[in-house]
Amino acid sequence: MVQQYGIKFALHLINKHFGNVVSKVCENLFRRGLLTLDQLIQYTQLTKDQVKNSLLVLIQHNCVQPFLLDDDDVNNLKVRTQYLALFDNIVHRLRFPKFLETVLLRLDEECVDILDGLLRDGRLTLKQMVDRASQGKENTVTTKVVRESLCKLLTARFVERCPAREPVVSTSFKETTIRKRGVKSAKIFETPKTLEQRVLEAAMPGDAIRFSLTADTVLNVDGEKKSDDVQMNSVEENVVEEEQILWRANFEEFIRHLRHKVLIENVRSQHDDGTATVLSAVLEATKTVEKNVKMENSVPLSLDTITTEVMKTDTGRALTIDRIKASLSQLGCSSSSVVDDLYSIDLKKIIEQARNEDVESIVLKRYGNDAYRMFRLLSKGSSFLDTDKIAACTLVESKKALKFLTQLWNDNYLHMETVPVVTGRRSSDIFWWKVNQPLLWINVLDEMYHAALNLSIKMADEQKKNEEVLNVPKHKLKEPGPLQKEYKRLLNVWLLLGSSLMKLDDALMLFHDF
Amino acid sequence: MTHLQGSSSSLKRKRQDLAIVSESLTDAERVLYNLIHSKKDMGIWTGDMKRETNLPDSIVKKCLKLLQSKNLIKDVVNIQNKGRKHYMAAEFEPSKEITGGDWYNQGRLDTEFINLVKDVCLKYIFRQKVATRDGVLEWSRKSGVFRVEVTTQQIDEILRALVLDDDIVEVKSTGFGDFSSVPVGRICYICKSKGGIRGEQKSGAMASIPCGVCPRINSCTPDGIISPRTCVYYQKWLDF
Repeated sequence: MVQQYGIKFALHLINKHFGNVVSKVCENLFRRGLLTLDQLIQYTQLTKDQVKNSLLVLIQHNCVQPFLLDDDDVNNLKVRTQYLALFDNIVHRLRFPKFLETVLLRLDEECVDILDGLLRDGRLTLKQMVDRASQGKENTVTTKVVRESLCKLLTARFVERCPAREPVVSTSFKETTIRKRGVKSAKIFETPKTLEQRVLEAAMPGDAIRFSLTADTVLNVDGEKKSDDVQMNSVEENVVEEEQILWRANFEEFIRHLRHKVLIENVRSQHDDGTATVLSAVLEATKTVEKNVKMENSVPLSLDTITTEVMKTDTGRALTIDRIKASLSQLGCSSSSVVDDLYSIDLKKIIEQARNEDVESIVLKRYGNDAYRMFRLLSKGSSFLDTDKIAACTLVESKKALKFLTQLWNDNYLHMETVPVVTGRRSSDIFWWKVNQPLLWINVLDEMYHAALNLSIKMADEQKKNEEVLNVPKHKLKEPGPLQKEYKRLLNVWLLLGSSLMKLDDALMLFHDF
Repeated sequence: MTHLQGSSSSLKRKRQDLAIVSESLTDAERVLYNLIHSKKDMGIWTGDMKRETNLPDSIVKKCLKLLQSKNLIKDVVNIQNKGRKHYMAAEFEPSKEITGGDWYNQGRLDTEFINLVKDVCLKYIFRQKVATRDGVLEWSRKSGVFRVEVTTQQIDEILRALVLDDDIVEVKSTGFGDFSSVPVGRICYICKSKGGIRGEQKSGAMASIPCGVCPRINSCTPDGIISPRTCVYYQKWLDF
């Protein structure tokens, strides 16, 4: 569930990129949930054309997913398309530069150009990519060259086939039952997927089709391969079909890549380069078989496989098996936790530790050292502690401790319960304190969205205020004087705001996407 | 800095002879003195004295003044209720419940002393690279930095505070490398700060921007009185 500033920030991005009208449509989808075209027209008070065009823009840029809701009602003959706003995809628009950098590091410039086009235009066919690549060049770029780059991006899974236009999603859900080994008829209830998750799942083709370039895997409306028709197609028909397939950036893979990067860097700073190398090798070897981005544990691998993967890397060749084992132990894979000789690393723990460090740094800066110690004491434990106990453990005076704890509680960083105590004729309250981690992280994430929104507003504000200076011809700015000074100041401001927003975005991903 | 000047809890006066005391006291004084004496190192509040002895306020006040002038009783600060007059027989040292513990001096937390002990312990751990609690304790006693003997409990409390400050990390010895001098599995401490200096600034992304440390973030709105456009913290931050 996204909190209020998350939505405000997403809407700010939509407004900035596509304008007020599109933003209004998007806002109604966020505030009111799934809506049909008619409902959107009613709520936004816009014309039918305005709403339609807005939806087309949002769908083109993968910010909205249309779908058909199958309510099994045979009497309901009129099937209506509903629209779902995709919060994650909207916020991903902030991190397009990071996605481009990823491709630049992993692949090449040509791939970056194709990805750039996909990010700017939302979705493109192969023909559109070729046309785009040829713009402003003397000689047209051949389809073969563009196709090769597209293949590289598909192999790396940075690009995917666009989803089905209007997948059908059922309103009912089935309880998932899994038999536990050794337990008779034990049923484990899995949290039912949200409608958003089911819509996205229904829209997504299988991996074989999703990352395949070949035209013989074109889907029909039901998402089935038209395999019977394929062999009848001529080569020319296949080429035409291939050129009509729409492609888009696969945000999931970019987020996975960035998550892996954060996991490795955190392990490097907490332990050492060797342990980071081992983790990096494990993640690289298993990235294509990870079921989802937020994997709690790495895919189990045998020691032999891990050793082989580690020794493939430049830095890993220097590590002995004992060293690799020691690193796995540092990553929490003790002999007692290894099952069937397979090692699985607790990735969730690394992410949670990184989150805790971020929250603690906020507490330190905002409330000071004493509050920082008290917060960390409560964070490390899972039970309630009373004020006096906290004061004694953290070497803070009781009155001061109460003041800081109350401040933290007021700002939703702590949970508090009161217990009345009667001593003689007097009764008083004893305050008990605790960190409620899940709620705390939701609160901190919303504050981060708030801060990101503020940074963006400030950037827009600075740009507007200093439009004159920005429009001055460059040769005039080279002359020393107040104008040059003002321009330099503006550059510094822009750099600071921009880099702060990108750094804050890393924290947004840490708390929301990882 | 009384901890460094030797007025430690280890020094106790000899008990005075009660017989000598009783001869020079009036009945009221004797009643009060016996009551105060019976409370030993916990002492007693004047309000409780009046309640238990049923003596009028003026008599109690007068007697307490006289007993104090004869050095038979003393007033102490009760950390639980600093505003109340609390008395104790002269020969007793106030218990930890009254004083607040080893780190309290005259009813106040001696933060200067605490910080001094923290600095000294952290520097030792930094120099040693790996240190056990016993190592820190032994060194604190041998080094002569402190005039009073620092107890095991105090060292434990200081180490816990340093862990909570994120200046040191509590780990278990692996027996290898820097841990070779520590038995495998023994709890020990390593320095997190690079220079052995306390309070090295660590900043997450949010803590590096004005909004991250702003006490008014919950009142801030895009177009409100407090907003990014009007924010004084932003103006200061962008003042190049």
